[in-house]
Amino acid sequence: MIEDLKQTFLDELKSVGNLADLSNLRVKYLGKKGIITSHVKSLSTISPSERPLFGKKINEIKQFIEQECNVKESFLKDEELKNKLLSEVIDITLPGKFIAPGIEHPLNKTLSEVVDIFIRMGFSVEEGPEVELDWYNFEALNIPRDHPARDMQDTFYINEDVVLRTHTSPVQVRVMEKRKPPLRFIAPGKVYRCDADISHTPMFHQVEGLMVDRDITFSNLKGVLITFLRQMFGADLSVRFRPSFFPFTEPSAEVDIGCIFCGGVGCRICKGSGWLEILGAGMVNPKVFEKVGYDTEAYTGFAFGMGIERIAMLKYSIDDIRLFFENDIRFLRQF
Amino acid sequence: MRVPYEWLKEFVDIEYPPEAVIDRLTMIGLEVEAVEHADDDVVFEVNVTPNRPDCLSLIGIARELSAAYGMPLKFPDHNVVAGKRELDFNVDIIEPKLCHRYAGRIVRNVSVKPSPEWLRKRLEKCGIRSINNIVDVTNYVLLEFGHPLHAFDLGTLRGKIIRVGTPKGVNGSSKAAVKTLDGAEREVSGDTLLIWDSERPVAIAGVMGGHDTEVKETTNDVFIESAYFDPVSIRRTSKALGLKTESSYRFERGTDIKGLKKALDRAALLMKEVADGTIYGKIDIYPKRYFPAEVNVRYERINRILGLKLTKREIHNYLKGLCLEITEEGRSGFKLKPPAFRRDITMEADVIEEIARHYGYDRIPSELPRAVMGVDVQKADIRGQKVKNTVKESLLNAGFTEVINYSFMGVQDIELLGIGAEDERRNLIRIRNPLREEESFMRTTLIPSLIRNLLHNLAHGNRDLRLFEMAKVFISTASNPLPDEREHFAVLYYKEKVKSLYKENVSDFYIVKGVVEAILNDLRIYNYSFARSKEPFLHPGQSADIFLGGSKAGYIGALSPEMIDSLQIKAQKPSVIVVEMDINRLISYIVQDIKYKPLPKYPYVERDTAIVVDSSLEASRITGYLKSYSSDLIEDIAIFDVYQGGNIAEGKKSITFNVRYRSSDRTLTDEEVDVLHKSLVDYILDKTNGQSRQ
Repeated sequence: MIEDLKQTFLDELKSVGNLADLSNLRVKYLGKKGIITSHVKSLSTISPSERPLFGKKINEIKQFIEQECNVKESFLKDEELKNKLLSEVIDITLPGKFIAPGIEHPLNKTLSEVVDIFIRMGFSVEEGPEVELDWYNFEALNIPRDHPARDMQDTFYINEDVVLRTHTSPVQVRVMEKRKPPLRFIAPGKVYRCDADISHTPMFHQVEGLMVDRDITFSNLKGVLITFLRQMFGADLSVRFRPSFFPFTEPSAEVDIGCIFCGGVGCRICKGSGWLEILGAGMVNPKVFEKVGYDTEAYTGFAFGMGIERIAMLKYSIDDIRLFFENDIRFLRQF
Repeated sequence: MRVPYEWLKEFVDIEYPPEAVIDRLTMIGLEVEAVEHADDDVVFEVNVTPNRPDCLSLIGIARELSAAYGMPLKFPDHNVVAGKRELDFNVDIIEPKLCHRYAGRIVRNVSVKPSPEWLRKRLEKCGIRSINNIVDVTNYVLLEFGHPLHAFDLGTLRGKIIRVGTPKGVNGSSKAAVKTLDGAEREVSGDTLLIWDSERPVAIAGVMGGHDTEVKETTNDVFIESAYFDPVSIRRTSKALGLKTESSYRFERGTDIKGLKKALDRAALLMKEVADGTIYGKIDIYPKRYFPAEVNVRYERINRILGLKLTKREIHNYLKGLCLEITEEGRSGFKLKPPAFRRDITMEADVIEEIARHYGYDRIPSELPRAVMGVDVQKADIRGQKVKNTVKESLLNAGFTEVINYSFMGVQDIELLGIGAEDERRNLIRIRNPLREEESFMRTTLIPSLIRNLLHNLAHGNRDLRLFEMAKVFISTASNPLPDEREHFAVLYYKEKVKSLYKENVSDFYIVKGVVEAILNDLRIYNYSFARSKEPFLHPGQSADIFLGGSKAGYIGALSPEMIDSLQIKAQKPSVIVVEMDINRLISYIVQDIKYKPLPKYPYVERDTAIVVDSSLEASRITGYLKSYSSDLIEDIAIFDVYQGGNIAEGKKSITFNVRYRSSDRTLTDEEVDVLHKSLVDYILDKTNGQSRQ
């Protein structure tokens, strides 16, 4: 009879499918009024000769049942966790909910790149007003009234003495008025000229640069600008300097880079010349130093200026400048 | 300046192919912008900078090449052998200040007819239309020498005299009328330099000849004018009349006062050749002599500026090639007298540029400067830049894309926004010569531009827009000639109500308000608040002014339904949220120093309470009361639920807030927190006239 007990238990255990049933089964056998417990209690009714053997058997069965129950319990717990995880499965192929980061305007992106390179070379960043006195925009830069050099720039006038700055160069004068050399800074910002077509907009961006110290030479101008251009466009970029004219520099230079589209062979973009005009520069004209009261014998310096639209158009192969100011997000999102 | 290669070779024996010459010209500062192949010739389009009027001529460009290649410059024949004297013709310069020199020659018995082919062709290659042989000769010589000439029909000049003066100077009048040879009747001011005969003006000096005295088929005798006019006077006339000619272009840049005789004689010789004329005597009145200032140049300075080690001899060679004559030689430097056609050379730096040009900019070594290290920026400037960067980064991270708009707007933009007469955004800066009416003012707010961006994008099917711009606005002030320029940032948020995978029930206003709060927190600005806004273009129920400290620094809100209607945005219940703030105002509210506070040692106790108040009561009032309740033990408070409807009475709302209590020196007991919390809730209920919600 007691041998059958083990088999009966195993049969019952087999049909147990969850933790609650298992707990009931455990109580049925091992509980205070359970089958095994009642057998233990009945030991006293058994003859003393059979008692030890019977006792041992009962104990064996009890241990067996306990062990089986534990095994089953851990099996059921695993099973239950598995089912829970299964019920929590989500479709991981649906797109995540995210806010696409915004995009910096390509002009400001380019501007920051330019500014960062000069900051790494120890230049600071200065600003000046966009609505500017004729004096700073022209006169102090050696561009007198009634001078043909004024034709180089179509000016928006507010009144006789106030203009929208046509270049960032007036910042040179404003900073030199305030501070003594040595100076090393760039001045980025918006500038205005009344002109509008596929390659001109009435507002555009420039970065001006100025370095003044004792013994600044034309060689230094070349050194700084070549370093900048190679950081910007690549280490093996070819750069050439050729004479030009700006009223506020003497000697003046136009700086070209080897065409980044055709490698200098000649293409539509460089108009077959193999070169792309990229910036204007020169040694500060002593007349400008005189206007701000610098000692022209003690100090020399160089200045340069570049158009950000031009650089961005080259970098991103953009052929119509007006795209920058239409602000179509299908355009802006490409950068 | 268009330069036919074959013609150019008449003045200097170039042995190089056109490509090499093009490159050389470009590298000495005469940039060849375009090249045109015509017949068997190559025409260079040379970009001549405003300082080099001498190069607005074939001889000028040839002179540069002769210096570059070390080959002699050859002049065309300009020696008039036997000019017959003509004594009964006079020139009277009434205002020598405006006309420094006036020379002329008479050529008689010309036969006016079409020019020979060689002459016509050369003019055409240079982009000048052939008129007749006499006029063509003046243009031909203009191209050769760069000196403008004018030919009068001598028979039409009255009184055998040429007078040079302004209407004021000639007869005291404040204006005059001249019919120019293009047929236009032009009225000129009393300060305009004119050419007169004994009775009337016959040409606008240096700009255009007169119609009545021009050379035509019937002309027998010609008077050729070769003069030097004051550049500023010519420029003013040309600008005032809106008339730019080959002549005025050169005169306003400065012509060769000494070489004008050569051009005159060259023209006379050519008229003899192509029109069978007889050359008569010359008149030359030169009241205002030109004495170029001597320029002192130091050898050491040349090398110091350029970073070179040129010898005296090398320097002399470059100058000689350019016809720059050394007048006095010293040990450390020299004196130089620029020729009359190089008025651009007035100082040492100009001479240094000449040497550098012909030495070759490309041969000057490149060397980084040696500079003293140091950071030389005022602290405020850096802070301004940092604030801008932080604002920008916050906006980019929140999904806003940057736009850049023109700084212009139209008065209709201000009207559309309904901005009142007293508002400073009406203090507009007006542009005198705008390109378009809608761009005739500088912006005083960035919102109209962003609205334009919205409309543009909607028209192109872009329906989910988060845009921002950082730019200056310009407020005119009475006290300063320049406006107050303020750096602003503005935001526009528009999202069409589309079906989306994940539900989100946050109103657009709170999404954008959260972005603004994130920016302020990023900047470490805590002293801000929001209060209902009165901006006329915003929804009165869904807009707020943003206060820093106690003053308004911007606003946020939904565009008013009227605005949306007038913009004709086609969407159901469109909601457009905009923000505009003054960036500079942010700077002073930034909490600069970060000071560490020790972490709490004792645990906190929390209590949540729901109260029912009037639905018009703003949440900020409740947080205000909570914050103003004086107790050291309140660590934090937060509203986390606002509920209307259901079992809440009409006109009421339920607000649930959480209070966190903590002591810095002991563990709080539940009992004491209960007491504290009850008195706090009673205080709030009393203040808000509310009831606690069961």
